[in-house]
Amino acid sequence: MSGIHADRRHFLKFVAGTGLLATTAPSVLAACGGSSQSGAVTSLAAGTNPIVDRGAIRIGYLPITDASPLLVAHATGALTNEGFAADSPVLFRSWADLVEAFQAEQVDVVHLLMPLAVQLRFGAKLPVKVVAWNHTNGSALTAAERINSVSDLAGETVAIPFWWSIHNVVLQKLLRANGLTPIIAGDASRSDGTVKLVVVPPADMVPALASGSIAAFIVADPFNALAEVKDAGKILRFTGDVWRDHACCVTVVSENFLASGAEKGQGLVNALAASQLAIADDRSAAAAILSDGGYLPQPLAAIERALTHYATEEYFESGAIVNREWSSERIGFQPFAFPSYTEKLVSSLKETLIDGDSSFLSALDATTVHSELVADGLARAAIEANGGLERFRLASFERVETIAP
Amino acid sequence: MIVRPDSSRKEILRRIGARLVALVASLGIWWLASSVIWSANPVISNIGPGDAIPALWDGLLDGDLVSDLGSSLTRLSIGLAIAFIVGLPLGLALGSNRLLEDASTPIVNFLRMISPLAWAPIVIVAFGIGDVPVLFLIAITAVWPIALGTAAGVKAVSPALKELAESLGASRRERLRFVTSPVVEANVLTALRLALGVAWIVLVPAEMLGVDSGLGYAILNARDQLDYSALGGGVLLIGITGFVIDALFRRLFRVDPRISM
Repeated sequence: MSGIHADRRHFLKFVAGTGLLATTAPSVLAACGGSSQSGAVTSLAAGTNPIVDRGAIRIGYLPITDASPLLVAHATGALTNEGFAADSPVLFRSWADLVEAFQAEQVDVVHLLMPLAVQLRFGAKLPVKVVAWNHTNGSALTAAERINSVSDLAGETVAIPFWWSIHNVVLQKLLRANGLTPIIAGDASRSDGTVKLVVVPPADMVPALASGSIAAFIVADPFNALAEVKDAGKILRFTGDVWRDHACCVTVVSENFLASGAEKGQGLVNALAASQLAIADDRSAAAAILSDGGYLPQPLAAIERALTHYATEEYFESGAIVNREWSSERIGFQPFAFPSYTEKLVSSLKETLIDGDSSFLSALDATTVHSELVADGLARAAIEANGGLERFRLASFERVETIAP
Repeated sequence: MIVRPDSSRKEILRRIGARLVALVASLGIWWLASSVIWSANPVISNIGPGDAIPALWDGLLDGDLVSDLGSSLTRLSIGLAIAFIVGLPLGLALGSNRLLEDASTPIVNFLRMISPLAWAPIVIVAFGIGDVPVLFLIAITAVWPIALGTAAGVKAVSPALKELAESLGASRRERLRFVTSPVVEANVLTALRLALGVAWIVLVPAEMLGVDSGLGYAILNARDQLDYSALGGGVLLIGITGFVIDALFRRLFRVDPRISM
């Protein structure tokens, strides 16, 4: 019981802290401003006084830690500080539900798997824009106890959350690098080195692994942490250890939303960036908000583990983390969408097996997708307004993609 | 084909005409909903008759929907067979033993009122994903109508008729063969038809439990692929197939539709 009280105190302190951060950041910025550059930033920055009325905003999300920045932005009032009247975020149970509600304009802001955003924009030809990365990494390949390496997956079934996902992309890279062939239909065979992929709702993955009907699953946290906490499986490899600081879920809005005035897009990304910093500054407190606030249904232990438990000896020894020198995080929080990632993702998607019509991909030029799909200037400004690159553990607005399956 | 006493050529034409009018009207409402009322909705506007019917045709031509239909019908048959193997003896026992029936009625009524989908989480924990949970859900849906229908059939055999047969010197076997069986058989067939209907309804959501084929999977995957016309095509195929298997069943076993449902 005292734990709960401690959490609540923590929570209040946390909210107060982020509130302070969001309201003082611009004044500090204005105080040290003076150059024309930071002046331009100030006009876009968080909580400019007087606050612009940016109207109502409706958030749709799935119950995974990937949604944290949006949820914490609601919980801590970061959205209110930006002049939004934020409704309680609406929980959806599947990507299909979420995308349908988004298309029907029942929600304004959603977090979507980056490949799903590509599919929405170029496959379904809907006017959607990626305004920020929700987070980096945050997923893992979790396997049954009897599986000790990726090559042990020959002849087994592995669950993925969605065909259009970074999970599917990374898993297939891992399998191919280990000489295995992913298959969609039929049965996997150990002698042929085939691995059957099957789409399973994340909430069903842990029980399916525990019952032995799948050998592994690759999905966002906290389901990996949940499997660890419940002794249903172990982390075979973190996805962020395969593709360094990859994006997974991105924040998506419609072009209508961006065009509806009051710099709504900038306000949203500012709030998101403030929320990401708040989470990164006190991850345990963020876990408490997500759990106590009723945003995520999973046990606090799993959520906290998903946010905090990474660079430990156990993972170095087990091989869950091979690239120790990357000094990545289990889940990282920064809003900037790197163009190099979009390009690499699109070219990777072209090599990825998907049970569906992916013919539109062949006509896509990987180098031009980013400029059409992503409004990355918003995150650039939000980072400047929230303390600059270093505050977000970034070195530059450019990078080279590192993939080591 | 059941020939109704009053049916004449004219009567048949009248019926066909009425059905055609209803069909055209339904298509009209469907078109109105998808292409006029919700024409701005990016999801519903893609599920109109002009999208779904070609999508169904394409799916059948390229064989994807045919193999999905095959998997679904296989699962339906196996699930129903399990339900029959369990339900028939259960129904016979319940119908012929008063004490057993009194004792188990509350339990049976409790179990049959649980939505098969409410079992899904438990089934996944117990059996994992794949074919087994789907078969379980179909079987547990279909077993109750079969058991209760059989029990009702056994009880429907008039005691007077049994006594009459006995007094005429019919042996136990003869009584079962000529008195009990015909009555029970009609009831079992009606129960089976009912079970077939509910099993088909449950099959589609059950196939969303991590299988890689079947009409339920086709619909789920069409949603994930944002391919809403294929989704419409899948829904059409489910409805048409359900209609056809019910009609075939009636024809094969000569179940009179007027007394069955």
